[in-house]
Amino acid sequence: MHRRELQEQYEKLLSNFLAGDREAQLYMAQQLSKSLVTQDIAPEDIVDFHIQALEKLVQMPEPVRESFQLLLEMMMEYGNTYRQHNVLRDKQKQLESEIDLAVVMQQTMLPQVLPEFEGVEFGLISVPAKKMSGDYYNILQENDVTFSVAIADIVGKGIPAALCMSMIKYGMDAQYGLTPATRLHHLNIVVEQNIDPSMFVTMLLGNYDTARHSFRYAVAGHEPGFFYRACEQRFYDLEGRGLVLGVLRDAQYPEYELNLEVGDMIVLMTDGVSERKVGMHYLNRQELTNLIQGELAHTAQEIAENLYRRLLLMTNYELPDDHTMIVIRRTK
Amino acid sequence: MAVPCSIPIKNEQDIVLARQVGRNLAKELGYGNIEQSRVATAISELARNIFLYAGEGSIVLEHIQKEGRVGLRITANDQGPGITDLRKAMEHGYSTSGGLGAGLPGVKRMMDEFAIDSMPGKGTEVVVTKWRS
Amino acid sequence: MNLTIRMESQSEQSVLYLQGELDAFTAPKLSEQLTPLVQQPSINQVIVDMSNVSYMDSTGIGTIVGALKTAKRSNCDLRIVNVTPRIERLFRITGLSEIIPVEPMEGEEA
Repeated sequence: MHRRELQEQYEKLLSNFLAGDREAQLYMAQQLSKSLVTQDIAPEDIVDFHIQALEKLVQMPEPVRESFQLLLEMMMEYGNTYRQHNVLRDKQKQLESEIDLAVVMQQTMLPQVLPEFEGVEFGLISVPAKKMSGDYYNILQENDVTFSVAIADIVGKGIPAALCMSMIKYGMDAQYGLTPATRLHHLNIVVEQNIDPSMFVTMLLGNYDTARHSFRYAVAGHEPGFFYRACEQRFYDLEGRGLVLGVLRDAQYPEYELNLEVGDMIVLMTDGVSERKVGMHYLNRQELTNLIQGELAHTAQEIAENLYRRLLLMTNYELPDDHTMIVIRRTK
Repeated sequence: MAVPCSIPIKNEQDIVLARQVGRNLAKELGYGNIEQSRVATAISELARNIFLYAGEGSIVLEHIQKEGRVGLRITANDQGPGITDLRKAMEHGYSTSGGLGAGLPGVKRMMDEFAIDSMPGKGTEVVVTKWRS
Repeated sequence: MNLTIRMESQSEQSVLYLQGELDAFTAPKLSEQLTPLVQQPSINQVIVDMSNVSYMDSTGIGTIVGALKTAKRSNCDLRIVNVTPRIERLFRITGLSEIIPVEPMEGEEA
């Protein structure tokens, strides 16, 4: 519709309205107003329609006429700013859907199914604090009797950490069949060369032999996990020393070995699990193992899930950091 | 008025003056109420950018004619820091975050023709035209 | 979430006294001061005093790591002193206390 027609339409509306046909004209005004948006008519245009219609229909006192100048100016800037605000909102939506795509992409880097071995059960939970996670994990079948386990925490959260994760994943894909120490050594070189100087990665890598139930692992500055000895009903820290990945090119990683009896359990985690603040105080390792102890009657998967829930409850449903936990238990 | 009129912009009073001169000129040329306001608002935005980001500059107003049409051209000039990313400055939404080039998309929308040239470190020139409808 | 940094310099040594929390929000502030400092040719030792740092997360450690790399290239000796047991543990677990001198708080055993 042309501006002139719109102007005439508005004039007619106003004149009928003033003649007393109130509600019907208001209803028509509502419909007209809707169509104006799609015709890219700005708020100040409507004010202008009103002024021009009034000029024709009534004798306006001068101050009233003058006052419309002010209203016109107000609506003009309001319209401009409002429009920009909407554009920003659309942009935000666009960004969010882009991030959602990246989240899906990231999910493909993490294992979708876990291997199955006689005599061993797994528990696994990984929840990002934001949309994208800086925690990496993998449990991978190496051969008939062996699987490898990896858990890693990339410093920082969100998108930068997620981007770095692909490097870890691809670096590890090329390492089939190597010992944990060698793998960490190689991975460290890749990370050191490709990461921002103020970023680093902590990691624990291990191979589990299900024939002998031995677990050989190496650690790169990662939060120590727990080793549960069923016969003693006691939790030990999973010992292990080694520099975080990405700091020193020639870092070396010693290997450690554990032998598991029936009922023994390895609990690996990222600091999103262990560094939890309950009120004013940080949960210590004793408190954490007490919580795990209370869940021992459940399956490995239930242990991981229940612990996540209990911690969430204790911390008022706040998850400040990515939370990842892997439980490996020898069942027979 | 065939002679361009140049208004130096150094402070907010100058912005008000430029608006006033622009509005009067539009009125003289027979622009409608709302067009007068749009001219004034565009001048206001351009002058404010000069004042905020370049410190000083000028607004030049001129009456132009082309193919029987009557127009009003506004040229905003400054020797300020310039705009590094023109594309970004012209993006809707960018300007609400403040910074250089604030309000430019709004000016572009209100005017019929819009051209901007900016060199980082050298300054910015914005030329806009509003035709009488 | 706040971090204040006070610097004291004498001849070839600078000491940065940190107060507050060192996390993702405040780490850039430390980095802005620390990185140019360790590159200054006239300074050959930079000490970061953490006695008043109540909290540090891995991003905070990252800032120290970044500064350490720069310091090594510039032959500057960077050391961390007066860390709380919690923070000392972080440096120990990450293996960083093997490559950067970290001194616990006086009178406290980690």
